[in-house]
Order: sequence, then C-alpha cells, then structure tokens
Amino acid sequence: MVFTSLHFFVFFPLVCVLSYLTPARYRYITLLVASYYFYLNTKPIFLLLTAGITLSTYAFTRLMDATPNDDRKRKLMWCNVVLILLPLFFFKYFETINREVMQLMAGLNLSYPLPDNHWLLPVGISFYTFMAIGYTIDVYNEELEAEKNIGIVALFVSFFPLVLSGPIERAGNMLPQFRSPEKLAASNLSKGLKLMLWGYFMKLVVADRLGIYIDEVYSDTASHNGSSYLIAMTLYPFQLYGDLGGYSLIAIGAAKAMGFNVMMNFRRPFFSVSMSEFWRRWHISLITWITDYIYTPLSFSFRKHGKWGIVIALLLAFLISGIWHGASLTFVAWGLLQGIFLSVEAYTVKSRADFRHRFGLGKQAWFIALSCIFTFSLFAISQVFARSSTLSESFTVFAKLVSDHGNPYVDFSNLTIGLGFLALLMLSDFRDEFLPGKFRIFDNRSFAVRFLAYLAIFFCIVIFGVVSDQFIYFNF
Amino acid sequence: MNRSEITEKLNTIFPTVFNKPGLSITESLTASDVDGWDSLTHMILISEVEKSFGITFKLKELNKMKNVGDMIEIIASKL
Repeated sequence: MVFTSLHFFVFFPLVCVLSYLTPARYRYITLLVASYYFYLNTKPIFLLLTAGITLSTYAFTRLMDATPNDDRKRKLMWCNVVLILLPLFFFKYFETINREVMQLMAGLNLSYPLPDNHWLLPVGISFYTFMAIGYTIDVYNEELEAEKNIGIVALFVSFFPLVLSGPIERAGNMLPQFRSPEKLAASNLSKGLKLMLWGYFMKLVVADRLGIYIDEVYSDTASHNGSSYLIAMTLYPFQLYGDLGGYSLIAIGAAKAMGFNVMMNFRRPFFSVSMSEFWRRWHISLITWITDYIYTPLSFSFRKHGKWGIVIALLLAFLISGIWHGASLTFVAWGLLQGIFLSVEAYTVKSRADFRHRFGLGKQAWFIALSCIFTFSLFAISQVFARSSTLSESFTVFAKLVSDHGNPYVDFSNLTIGLGFLALLMLSDFRDEFLPGKFRIFDNRSFAVRFLAYLAIFFCIVIFGVVSDQFIYFNF
Repeated sequence: MNRSEITEKLNTIFPTVFNKPGLSITESLTASDVDGWDSLTHMILISEVEKSFGITFKLKELNKMKNVGDMIEIIASKL
C-alpha cells in the first residue's frame, strides 16, 4: 500500500479512529496490527523480513543489556548488525555481484553459475534495517536501555508512516512515544493533515509533473540535445525534493495526526550557501544516521591523521552512502563527488571564512544568492550520475551539455504546470527562510483565509496532480 | 589532576583548535555555542586532548560527551 493509493485513503482514517479509541497503554497493539497489515499489502512474504529483523534486534539488545562484559557486548552488537544486514545485501547486491563475478570467471574460462535472484527489492528494507541498526548501536553505547516489550520494538521497526521510505527515525525518539502516546488532540490532527496535504502537493503536483519532462529526456539520450539536458539537470533536484520531501511530509503528517512527533527530513535545502550546509538540510534523517553510525566511528579511527583522517572518513562515508543508493558505478561516482565537495570545504573552511570576513560578504544578499546558486549547481551536476542508468550515459549527458546546443525539447503543458507550482513551493520556502512570520497565508489568523488556502491546495492536487504510485526512494 | 587543573589545560587547547584566541571554556559549553565546532573540528579537538593528556578515549565515551563538563568528567576518570 502506498500513500497515493485509494486503499490508503480508506486505511488511514480508519487507523486514526481505531488508534484513538484504543486505551493509550494498548495503542501500540492497534498500530502494530495496522502497520503489519500496511506492509502485508506490498508483498506478504516480506513481512517475514520485518518480523525477523524485529526478533533478532529484540533478542540481541536484551542480551547486550544483560551482560556487563564490554567485549561480549560488542560481539553481540556486531552479530545483530551483520545478521540484519544480510537480507539487505542479498536483495540489493547479490544480482550485481553474481553477474560481475560470473563475467570475471567467464573471462578465465570458468563457469559456476549461481541461480538468479528474481525477487524484487523489498520496499523499505534499507530504511527499517538502518533504524534497527541505529537502535542496536544506541543500546551498545548505553544511550538507551533495551526495550523489554517486543511489541514496541516490532512497532518501531514496522511503524507504517515510516516503513517504506523513512524518515529514518531513532529509537530514542520513538520508543518513549510508543510506550506512552499522547492523548487525542484536535491540534495534532489538524497539524498532521496540513503537513500531509502539503506533502501530496509537493509529490503529485510538483515532483511528478517535472518528472514527466525529465523521464522523457533521460529515456532517449540519443535524440535529446544539451539544452534539453540542461533543463532536465536543473529540474531533477527539484523533482527529488518534491518526491522525497513530499513523501517525508506525508509520513511526518500521518504520524503527527496520530499524536507522534517524527523528525523533519528536509529544511529548505536550496537556500544552503555551502555543500556542508546543504547536507545538513537535505535528507536529514539519512545524513545524521550516516554521521552518527558511519562517519563518526570512521573519523574516530582515523583521528591521529588530523585533517587527512577526516577527509578519508568523509570520502568513505559518502562512498558507502552512494553504494547504498545503488549497486552501480554511477552511484559510486555520485557518492565520491559528495565526499570530494565536503572534503574541499572542510580543508578550506578557515580561508573561506577569512575571505568573507575581509570583504564583508557574509551578509550581502547578492553573495548569499550566488553561494546558493553555486551550491545548487554542484548538487545538480552530481545528480546527473544518480539519474543516469550507466556511467557512459552520464558522460554522454556531460558531453552534450558542453557541445550539443540547439532548441530544447519543450513539453509546454507539463513544464508550465510543474514550473508554476515549483515557484509556489520555492516562494513558500523563501518566506520560511528569510521572512518568518510574514505573509502568513497557511497560518493566517483568520480561519477563512487558512481554510481557503488549504482548499486551493486541495483543488490544485485534484486538478493538476499526476496519478502516481511510485516514489523514487522506494528503489533504495 | 583535579577538575580545575583539567579545565585550565583545556583552556589552552580549545582556542588553538578553533582558532579563537579569547575563547574561555565553561562546563556547560556545548558545540552549538562555538562557531566552527562541527563534526569535523570535533575530531581534531579529541585528538589534541588525547595527545595533551596522554590518554585514549573510547568511541562510546565520545558519544557521551554532551558538553565540556562531560569531557572533563571522562578525562578525570582516566588520570
């Protein structure tokens, strides 16, 4: 079941009502049944995975809590991390590794073909695996006590608003809320529904409209010229923002409507003046997860090497992030590029600050605007790798961008609608970033203005939304 | 070495790492109070503190340092 399906529009209100009708101490049971039903609707057999990850994580965290021996505790932590990573590796990388190894062996005149993996990637597997790993490490680090109620752990792993594509939440935030949920509050319901509505707008009206143009251009590299690729390259970050940002708001809003506070996943990323700032505002739950559980242990191990240790840790962390996005050279290139951008920034942080200070640039509007455009451009260029199917396709796109100019392909109606509503989304982000509290429309004091504003967004979705059941991050 | 001696020694390390000559630390000081104290400079700080006190932190201890007071506590437990 996905958030844009008719099924969900029946399921969600029903779960909200049932959840509030259940006494608070038993609410996790209602939500667990609902979450398992929700996930069952993707492919029933994959429920075994969430259940398996829950059982393993529950058992190992309890064992870790029971042992005073740090060495044994570490072994238990690693056992669970490796065990729950196995399915993710199998589904995500088995086919690629099998194919590459077979090709290599064929070159040596050896042939031991392994059976092909015909299973599709279980949707959400990386997200709930990461959440379970985070919880395991937090218990190992003694930041959390192991949860004694297996039902609460099961709900944490499978909580339906988050199970398909995050935000990758932390046990420290969610478990206490599952143990003692908030009372029914009209304000939560209203806040949650508003977030969901804006999320649907970002996804169906902005992302999927822009996606029609971008898909067309990328689907036929041979016939489109550099001008079309320039438009597609510029629009793709906005499509991703609408897609995952919109998905995240629907998830956060659905949780909020039921009285649960989930972390924000995006914070107006296109107003970042550097790549390091950008990565603090884009897919926040993933990047903080990578920082805490991959980058920090790596940079801690390499700390004796000073700045170079940090550079290596950054490159490795983003390389892992790239490979997580996909088992292909395009994502390796994407990850390495992010690592290089951040390493260069880390190395030049002082000289850049001195330069800004010397010429008094830090608060100049034009300098901030230029920095935002430069940061956006770096991200958009790196995303060519993520959007292309192969590395050679990426290079073809780059070659066309510099040499093959001409009249771009124009899909007038989709571009007009997509760009028009993108402008609205960016204006809203601009207001929140630079003029908080001004031009209040969606949070106007007058109920009539608020109501009409949300009604307008609702009709925009109904009239201009694209019917879609695909979210880009379901592939990860 | 008592807490005030540790604080005194840290007061020579912090200004150098963050390149802020006037920076004086308190036990309640956190990363968000110091411009430039991010995940990158944090590891350089940790490495300098280890060198200066001749100690080695565990990753687990690093995760428990929420402010300078926590850092002093952990250093004291190792001296």
